[in-house]
Amino acid sequence: MSDTQGFAALLGELSTFAAASVRMAAPLLIAGLGEAISETAGILNIGLEGIMLSGAFAAFIVAWATQNVWLGIMAGIAGGMLASLLHALLGVGRRADQTITGLALNFLASGLTSYFFLMAFGRTTSLPECPVLPAVEIPLLSSIPFFGPVLFSQNPFVYFAFVATGLVWLLFRRSEWGVILHAAGENPHAADSAGLDVIRTRYVAAAANGCFGGLAGASITLGTLGFFMENVTSGKGYIALVVVILGRRQPFGVALAALLLGAADALQFRMQTGNSGIPSQVFIMFPYLMTVIVLLFSIGKTRDPASLGIPFDRGRR
Amino acid sequence: MVVPAMLAMRDIRKSFAGVPANDGISFDVGEGEIHALLGENGAGKTTLMNILYGIYAADSGSIVWRGEVLGGHGPKEAIAQGIGMVHQHFMLVPTLSVSENITLGLKSRGHPFPDRRRLDTDILELSARYGLDVDPAAKVASLSVGERQRVEIMKLLYRDARLLILDEPTAVLTPGETDGLFRVLATCKGQGHSVILITHRISEVLAFADRITVLRDGARVATLEAAGATAAGLSTLMIGRELKSPARRTAPAASLPRSAAGDRAGLEARAISLRPVAGKGLQSVSFSVAPGEIFGIAGVDGNGQKELAECLLGLRIPDSGKLLFGGLPVEGLGPRQRKRRGLAYVSDDRHHDGLVLGFDLAENYLLGKLDDPRFVRFGLVDRKACLRGAGGAIADYHVKTRGPTEEVRLLSGGNQQKLILARELSSGPAIIVAFQPARGLDIGATEFVHERLLERRAAGSSVLLISSDMDELLGLADRLAVLHRGRLSPAYDNDGSLDMMRIGLLMGGQGMAEEACAS
Repeated sequence: MSDTQGFAALLGELSTFAAASVRMAAPLLIAGLGEAISETAGILNIGLEGIMLSGAFAAFIVAWATQNVWLGIMAGIAGGMLASLLHALLGVGRRADQTITGLALNFLASGLTSYFFLMAFGRTTSLPECPVLPAVEIPLLSSIPFFGPVLFSQNPFVYFAFVATGLVWLLFRRSEWGVILHAAGENPHAADSAGLDVIRTRYVAAAANGCFGGLAGASITLGTLGFFMENVTSGKGYIALVVVILGRRQPFGVALAALLLGAADALQFRMQTGNSGIPSQVFIMFPYLMTVIVLLFSIGKTRDPASLGIPFDRGRR
Repeated sequence: MVVPAMLAMRDIRKSFAGVPANDGISFDVGEGEIHALLGENGAGKTTLMNILYGIYAADSGSIVWRGEVLGGHGPKEAIAQGIGMVHQHFMLVPTLSVSENITLGLKSRGHPFPDRRRLDTDILELSARYGLDVDPAAKVASLSVGERQRVEIMKLLYRDARLLILDEPTAVLTPGETDGLFRVLATCKGQGHSVILITHRISEVLAFADRITVLRDGARVATLEAAGATAAGLSTLMIGRELKSPARRTAPAASLPRSAAGDRAGLEARAISLRPVAGKGLQSVSFSVAPGEIFGIAGVDGNGQKELAECLLGLRIPDSGKLLFGGLPVEGLGPRQRKRRGLAYVSDDRHHDGLVLGFDLAENYLLGKLDDPRFVRFGLVDRKACLRGAGGAIADYHVKTRGPTEEVRLLSGGNQQKLILARELSSGPAIIVAFQPARGLDIGATEFVHERLLERRAAGSSVLLISSDMDELLGLADRLAVLHRGRLSPAYDNDGSLDMMRIGLLMGGQGMAEEACAS
């Protein structure tokens, strides 16, 4: 008797944990898909954290001002695209070093969003709140035991992440656009001599990255928190970069990697609240530690696009 | 040819940083014609074709293509007009399939979700029509160089190109693949396509072209019918003087009688094996080079040549086998000690491991002489002695430079190679490993390199010549063997008995196993 009760309790625990993992994975997955598109086209944008932060802030401020979540989401997308296109303007258009530009973008976004936030609200003890996109229970599916709560009672960002994974797979594997992206990242001179516009292709990829990254940022402020604070993305952009490498820039690979690191994040939260007497900082470290370990074991196993991070210049071979 | 030309380029001029690359060149191609553009490196062949293809814009001059003026066009417009170009460095995406590469940039039916199976069928039909054997589903990364070239040509035919421009297409092919290429080009010609063949290989031009235009120093020297042309005449047109015959026969035979050196080979490799890394290794490679002999190793690049050369130099350590210099084992010796034992090395990549480009001539000359007490005493460099030594080498080897203090990167490829030869050969080495010593050099500089190697042969050095250029090997080597996928065929005497057909097949890997068994 107590055995079945214990089993039910364990299943409940597991289901809560799995649901949290999926929820934590969503921003990593969305941002990771964008970065996968960008890197496939040959742009290495390590400014993903900056893109997400811009998206998170823009989404929050508009949602707070208009009290409309959907307008907030649109603003989040716009904010992310703005940040990503700034990177592209320098790293694609002006052929600047993409790594340095990405680094600069992170610092710029961190400083600017904090500054604007301070300008708008001053030093407050109570954080201003914005509306949050509520979780949507999908009829029928959400009542499936275990899988219902884990997969089908989530906020719309999670659903979007999974649909987007399939769409990006279609883009990469079934469409001519995917072939063009690959060509631009692998051998841009070949794409150029085939009459394709490499620069435009890369700008489009950068815009897509901004769109996804901005949405990932919005999912943090409008999907779970309902407020903004300094560096609210707390390194998720960097973890998303790891997710991309780990998933080898393939949509389903990225999804698996995002789930793995999402689970690490969820575990960390649970242990923090577990009253173990261990300082909470130890647990906060956990996802990052996991990231380092995972990177350690994936070294040398990925093959980067041949022209990743190299600006295209027709005259140079 | 009185028929109105398909293509007429008139008085094309183009300068780079004030240096004219094309100096008023006029050039015609007729319909269904194979027209060779012959010239040395830097004669302006590729520049002229890049202008035609729209990669560069001409400074002045006009292009008339099928009765219409072409100008201000890019590659995209050129392709749309039916002009296609196969570049020396292939423009393929290795991670994509053959079919995806062929249709890249086209809006096929159903775009952006094309029916790949239908496209593959179309491609197969086209390839059957032109005798181009390609597998549409294969990844380009898995193809050989010859196959990649076929994909490039298919790309043009698929786009309905009427004029195919091929930039040095045979530089990377085995003799068998070269014959295959020219069969395909003949089929194209039969179907009404015109072909422009950029090359510096006279034998190919004579065998396959209809007309020949010779360029020298950015200007057109002559346009003639291939039927009446001779090899000697063409080479004179190309270099502006008569070429001395590089043939080994004219060089004095080894002054050292082989018996005097005993049975002791100058350089001997016994069953050298190297575990493959990235598919490149060596399998029990054995050969010996007598003093006063040039031993040639033929084969397409990337079949273990680099690995073999680096084993000889001591940069790589073979997993098994023995290496003897003058009969003495050299195991465990590094490059410097091996050089002390009389080894000289001419690298295939002078920019990578032959020279330090940012150093001046004297410093690069010193790099090979760090053990020489004339230049280095008590660990200190005698700069004046270096300058004197380098100055002497510059004079002896006819290096064109402003002086020993000029940076090496400012020299032309030919002069850089001369400097390397001066450094490596001036000490009278007993063993010379020359790896593609004439790569990227024009005829004049090549001739110079070959003469120096023959000089060393006459002086009794054991010369190992590793090359993918059959003409070079046939002209220089006393004996030669073929390296394919890390295995070396038995050696053949390079005389009238040499079966070129067999050598060509060996380079493609056919008959390698039987040969190895028979030996």
